[in-house]
Amino acid sequence: MEINYLGEQLIPGHLGNGFVILAFTAALLSAVSFLFAEIRSSKLPIESAGWKKIGRLAFRVHSLAVLGIVATLFYMLYFHLFEYEYVWHHSNKSMRTRYILSCFWEGQEGSFLLWTFWHVVIGNTLMRTAKTWESAVMTVVSSVQIFLTSMMLGIFLFEYKIGSNPFTILLRQHPDFSGIPLFQNPNYLSKLDGRGLNPLLQNYWMTIHPPTLFLGFALTLVPFAYAIAGLWKKELNGWQRPALPWAFTGVAILGTGILMGGAWAYEALSFGGFWAWDPVENSSLVPWLTLVGSAHVMLIHKNKGQSLFTALFLSLLSFILVLYSTFLTRSGILGDSSVHAFTDLGMSGQLLIYLFFYILLSVLLMSVNYKQFFSGSEEESLWSREFWFFIGSLILLISSFHVLFNTSMPVWNKLFHKKFAAPDIAFYNAWQLPLATMLAVLIAMGQYLKYRNTEIKEVLKKLMLPFALACLSTLLIALLMKINTVFFVALLGASLFCIFANFNYWLVILKGQLKNAGASVAHMGFGLILLGVLLSTSKKEFISHSNADKDLSSFKLSNGQNNVLLQRKDTVQMGDYYVTYTGKSKSGNNVYFNVDYFSKQPGGKLNYAFSLKPLVQINAQMGNVAEPDTRHFFNKDIYTHVTYADYSIQDEKNKNAAENENSQNFSFSPGDTVASSNSLIILVGLNSRVDKKKYGLPDSAIAVGAEFKILDVNKKVHMSYPVFAIERNQIVPLPTEIPELGMKLNFWKVDPEAGKITVAVTVNAADKPDYIVMEAIVFPWINILWTGCIVMVIGTAMALVHRIRKY
Amino acid sequence: MKKIHIIGIVVIAVSIGAIMASLASSSTYAAFSEAAASPSSEFHVVGTLDKNKDRIYDPKTNPNLFTFFMVDSAGIEKKVILHKAEPPDFERSEKLVIIGKCKGEVFEARDILMKCPSKYNDGKPVESGQQSETKQQ
Repeated sequence: MEINYLGEQLIPGHLGNGFVILAFTAALLSAVSFLFAEIRSSKLPIESAGWKKIGRLAFRVHSLAVLGIVATLFYMLYFHLFEYEYVWHHSNKSMRTRYILSCFWEGQEGSFLLWTFWHVVIGNTLMRTAKTWESAVMTVVSSVQIFLTSMMLGIFLFEYKIGSNPFTILLRQHPDFSGIPLFQNPNYLSKLDGRGLNPLLQNYWMTIHPPTLFLGFALTLVPFAYAIAGLWKKELNGWQRPALPWAFTGVAILGTGILMGGAWAYEALSFGGFWAWDPVENSSLVPWLTLVGSAHVMLIHKNKGQSLFTALFLSLLSFILVLYSTFLTRSGILGDSSVHAFTDLGMSGQLLIYLFFYILLSVLLMSVNYKQFFSGSEEESLWSREFWFFIGSLILLISSFHVLFNTSMPVWNKLFHKKFAAPDIAFYNAWQLPLATMLAVLIAMGQYLKYRNTEIKEVLKKLMLPFALACLSTLLIALLMKINTVFFVALLGASLFCIFANFNYWLVILKGQLKNAGASVAHMGFGLILLGVLLSTSKKEFISHSNADKDLSSFKLSNGQNNVLLQRKDTVQMGDYYVTYTGKSKSGNNVYFNVDYFSKQPGGKLNYAFSLKPLVQINAQMGNVAEPDTRHFFNKDIYTHVTYADYSIQDEKNKNAAENENSQNFSFSPGDTVASSNSLIILVGLNSRVDKKKYGLPDSAIAVGAEFKILDVNKKVHMSYPVFAIERNQIVPLPTEIPELGMKLNFWKVDPEAGKITVAVTVNAADKPDYIVMEAIVFPWINILWTGCIVMVIGTAMALVHRIRKY
Repeated sequence: MKKIHIIGIVVIAVSIGAIMASLASSSTYAAFSEAAASPSSEFHVVGTLDKNKDRIYDPKTNPNLFTFFMVDSAGIEKKVILHKAEPPDFERSEKLVIIGKCKGEVFEARDILMKCPSKYNDGKPVESGQQSETKQQ
């Protein structure tokens, strides 16, 4: 029986699907046209111009279609059209509007869309700027767009599904949800809410980190396209110049994107740090490392015509690594090794075809031009800039190779049927640290070396001052901060040398002028990043220590004692601070735990310092998410994370109501036993010798004391002494509490004739002792890291402005 | 021999070193039986939580001690000791990866990874109002 569903908006779906098909077809046409335009360019210039026109037009149509896809998807999300599986899957009604964009990148289809969008922006810029390179470069760009839009097609070809289309999959038709009774109701939409956005993505960093990262990924396409074009046109020495500004833009933007991810992890995730060598992080770092290498080697080639092979290799590799990392994170192969890999949409085959197509294309074009690379290249002299830049890129290559090899463990396991696990953080650090040290020294010296050949004595003389300053400050910092591992001291020295040498270069050699200072500033930023990473990571200190488990001798654990139990209103010393948990409050879906920090004054008095409010986002649908809170000082951060707590909250009104409901009157004669909800209450006896002063009663008052023995479920005995008092014919309420049981006893009636007393017993969950289990970590000098990021981006921007002006 | 050759050799040597070191130091995925056979080395054990047995986390006695029972892929069950707080939503986890060593009858975990399918791929369309009631502590 056909059901006529009410309220479904099917037009946006048809529209969106139309845009997808249009985008795909236009990309296809654009690629073919630009291909012909390039092939015919030398022999038939007029025909070539015609093809180029069609290519441009097709790419513009493609661009509009992509914008149409974005707008349609946005419309569907904004108006909560849950009839579409994508909208239902990634959003809900209670979500705040500013996170709608985050819904784009939670799903795979949306991420591919974001990526496609940036390629559209880049492609349109290239059509204006690439001049004679346009046809060849745009052929490559359009070909990538064919692949990317095919990921959204969602059509079947010989029973193989191509792409996943957010516009054509209706929720009620989704195979996972067939036979759900809700869809028997024609008016199901009025009763439906979406599944909602992953709470981890509901964070402001998550609104800017993915677009920045994807722009960085997209920018690797340009050096790749130019390198392919250079090989194709056999103009091996011309492609670097136009590609260079793009490569450095990519370095700056991809670097920023990666660090934004680090900032998000540091603020919103609970592993206590900004970098965990997680496969998803690694697979964005690796292309950045090779892109940095490629940009610098291209610079060498542009100036001195050397390192052609390396420049081509690294430029091609950066984009291929972006594709590979997409495959890693989108194919589900990472499985156990990553906490935040995406699920498989059954598109790994398609991704592999895409990956191998560009690998084959690169290898083919490289081997055709093989003879060009090594003919007649004279050997660089030892003290030339080109030689050490080359060494620097090799170090970057080794570094990226090491990260890549280990991140790909699941791939090796699958290929060779092994069972290796991904290595831990310490292993990555141990390998990357010496490489970073070498790199920092090279960056310190790089600009002092001239092309061709340098008088090394001159260089050393100029480097004397920064070197001396670096040695001195290294010694000072190492002593003050008690850094005593050889490798750490080496990196400390190298990063300081890098900072001082580049500052010196700008101040002394460039005489403080800003025009050419970009490189020095950017490198200073890189030195600061290394310094910040070193200090904040190697001197990261847990100030929360539990002494509950004294026997750890059997098993030495790196962080086995860092969770501390804090009862409400308890004060516990943590490092230089005294910490109190004062209670919890609820706002929206968040439960905030208020933690006050006090510092001790010389006299022993505690002074309030600051409060932190780590929170737990309650999400019944996807699981609760704890978010730490961090207090930033200029020289350190104090990070506080609630690892365990009771999230339930009862406000005052409910509490009183609950109290009245739970209150129960019991009559006792001495020796009687009654059962309450969580214990046995025994009246041991009564006495009239009550210390009235203790209860603030005047002598004229009449008071009777009762002695109760209370046995809890664990047979533990609690004693309680409630008092009944009358003053001037008025009963004075004197309830007593047994906090461990959340119990309150109110002795309010005496019946002397029957020899009985009446006690109101209240057992209230809200009065149960409230506690949290928390961790507190000090990250010293982490601000140097963030400052370094900003300085590096500013420096790169300065260099770019200068370069584009020259170009 | 040119400098380039020497450098090439060094790069290859370092790369091979990197691979060897990675493979040598990296722990492997294993079942409890393998982990028990070599108690001195670290393993990643994949399994599921036994929801019928007690999970014990008593922060008042020790906030850094959490014990539970896990069944590995071969169906063998072991008691697991984790020196951390009980992870949030632990009982909802579908799959666990514990990292640590076997100590006799218990597995001492240094770290734990949880796969909660709900975060990515769970949940079916239901009438609104029902959803929020599924979990209220």
